[in-house]
Formats: sequence, C-alpha cells, structure tokens
Amino acid sequence: MNIIGEINCFGFCLRLSELAPYVALLIVIAIALFAARLIIKRPEQKLLTLIGAQLAILSAIAAAFYLMKCSDMLTIHLYLAYAGISLFLIFGVLRFYDRIMIKRLGARPAREMIGWTQEFVDKLTNATVYYYDSAVPKAFAAGRSIFLSLGLLELLNDDEIKAVLAHESWHIRNNSRMPFLKQLALMTFSPQRETDIEDLADYFAAKIAGSDALFSARSKLDKIFN
Amino acid sequence: MVKLDQINISNNGLTKFFSPIETRIMKTLWDEGKMTTSELTSKTDIPLTSIAGTLDRLVKAGYTNRGVETINGRVRYVYEPTFSEEETANEITTRILDSLVDTFGKVAIENFSKYNDKK
Repeated sequence: MNIIGEINCFGFCLRLSELAPYVALLIVIAIALFAARLIIKRPEQKLLTLIGAQLAILSAIAAAFYLMKCSDMLTIHLYLAYAGISLFLIFGVLRFYDRIMIKRLGARPAREMIGWTQEFVDKLTNATVYYYDSAVPKAFAAGRSIFLSLGLLELLNDDEIKAVLAHESWHIRNNSRMPFLKQLALMTFSPQRETDIEDLADYFAAKIAGSDALFSARSKLDKIFN
Repeated sequence: MVKLDQINISNNGLTKFFSPIETRIMKTLWDEGKMTTSELTSKTDIPLTSIAGTLDRLVKAGYTNRGVETINGRVRYVYEPTFSEEETANEITTRILDSLVDTFGKVAIENFSKYNDKK
C-alpha cells in the first residue's frame, strides 16, 4: 500500500469508527494541556502537564492505530520500529553512557583528589564523583556518576561546588525516571524542555546548599557559557 | 611532538601558526614561565570564557604542559610552556621544511639553497 492510500485509510477508518470522537477528545485534551503549560509557573506542575499532554497524544496514536482496518500498514510498522529503536537506545545504550564518558574523558574518582566531594554526594545519593582534565568549567551527571572538570573545581569555592554537586545529585536520584520521559517525548514527537528539569534540580540544590551558593555558582558559570 | 594544524601565510608574526589568543598565551608563558589560570587571565587580559578552551587545545597540541596543584583543599592548574621559544621556532620550521620537501622535493631544496645564497 502506498502512503497516499494509507492516509486515505486513516481518514476512512476514523470516520467510520464510533470511537473517533474519543480520539478527537484526546487530541483536544493534549492541546489544552500544552497551552496550560505556557501559563503554569511551578516547574513540577509544568512537567506534569507536559507528561499529561504526551500521554494523551500517545493514547490518541494508539487508538488511531487500533481503529485501522487496513492490513500491513507501512506507517504503523515504521512507528513501531521507531519506538523499538528509541527504546533500545534510551534504556539499553544510555545506561552505560557514564562508562563511555569515563573512558573518553580519562576521568578519575574525585575522592583521590578532594575527598569531601564524594562524602557530600554520599549523603544525597548513591553515585561516584569523577573529575576530568579540562580547563572549561563543566559538570554533568550520567548513569550513576557525576563528572566535574578541573576547571570547575578551580573556578568555584567549596559552597558553590556543593551547590553543583547537589544539582547533579538530583539528576542521579531521578535518573531512573528520565528514560521514561525521554521515551515519551520521542514517541509523541514533542521534545522535552530541558529547562523544567534543570529548574527542579536547582530547587533541590538551593535547598541543600543554600540559594546564595547556588546563585553565585550559576552566575559564575553563566558568565562562561552565555 | 607538537601539532601544527594550520598555517596562514598572510598573518603577522606567530599568528601565522597560532590563533591570536593562543599567541598571547604562549608569549606570556614564555615571558613569565609557570603560571596559574587566574594569573594567565589577568596577565593576558583574556576572560576565562575564551581562555579555558584555548588552554585545553594548547595542552592537547603539546605546546603547553599543565600540572594540578592542591593547596588547602583547593585545586588549581599550573601552566608552563613545553618548549622554549627557540625550541618551538626550531620545531615549527623543521615541520614546515619537512612538509615542503615532502610535497615539492627537489624544487623546495633548490629554493632553499638559492635563499641561502641571497642571504
């Protein structure tokens, strides 16, 4: 069947089905939630609204596929292949991303150089802190590892480093949920807005290390990257 | 062995072989010897934004060495030039002469001897 034929099939099957109004309703709900996201200020509510909208889209897609009466539809096969590949990449490969980064950056456990960073993180989550050789101040979390560049350790004072570590620890604590969010975003073709997640991590960092330390760390790093 | 990425014949001085920021960093390191990152930023008057990536590149290319010092639990980089200014000049000219001879063979060598006669 060609693509034009398939599009006609979607039109026909949806029009003939009694469930079509429900598919339309799901789409309307999704649009309403996307719109609501623009007004809502609190990051966790913003994120929940987005997840709600994405779930509505996913249900609409699943319902539309279920209603199709044509056999062997290329679009459905393509979508399932897309979902399968992204599932493999996100749940299979990304879990080992920290192993890859340790090798690539030649990262070393931070306890070898500044022990307190590891002790600080141990209180917040179960992760290993690594440092790597680069003058560019940068920190990120992957898998169960937190990476700090030596440039970052050089630039920030202890309180600011704690704020960064708390921020990254939040990511580690929520890492088990992130793949689901990524998968949902990919399957509904609605890219995740990283800022909501970063804001949540900053909330946590401010609570742990104090908002002054977080603010001064942020402003030092913003000067570098913006 | 240092890495020579690009040569811009029309540029002035060392900026033929280095970027303007790299040139300022190298000149400062040759003049002052060992320096920390903050000393380098204040001496060269280049903000950390631009200097950090460039320093990584110079280290990777082999022009500068850096060690890590920990003082009172604080970490800092200390930079020093891998080779002196003369050694670097020697290295660069050898590399360029090698590549000229490699590409043009006899013509390059004939021109060198003519150049020598002119002098």
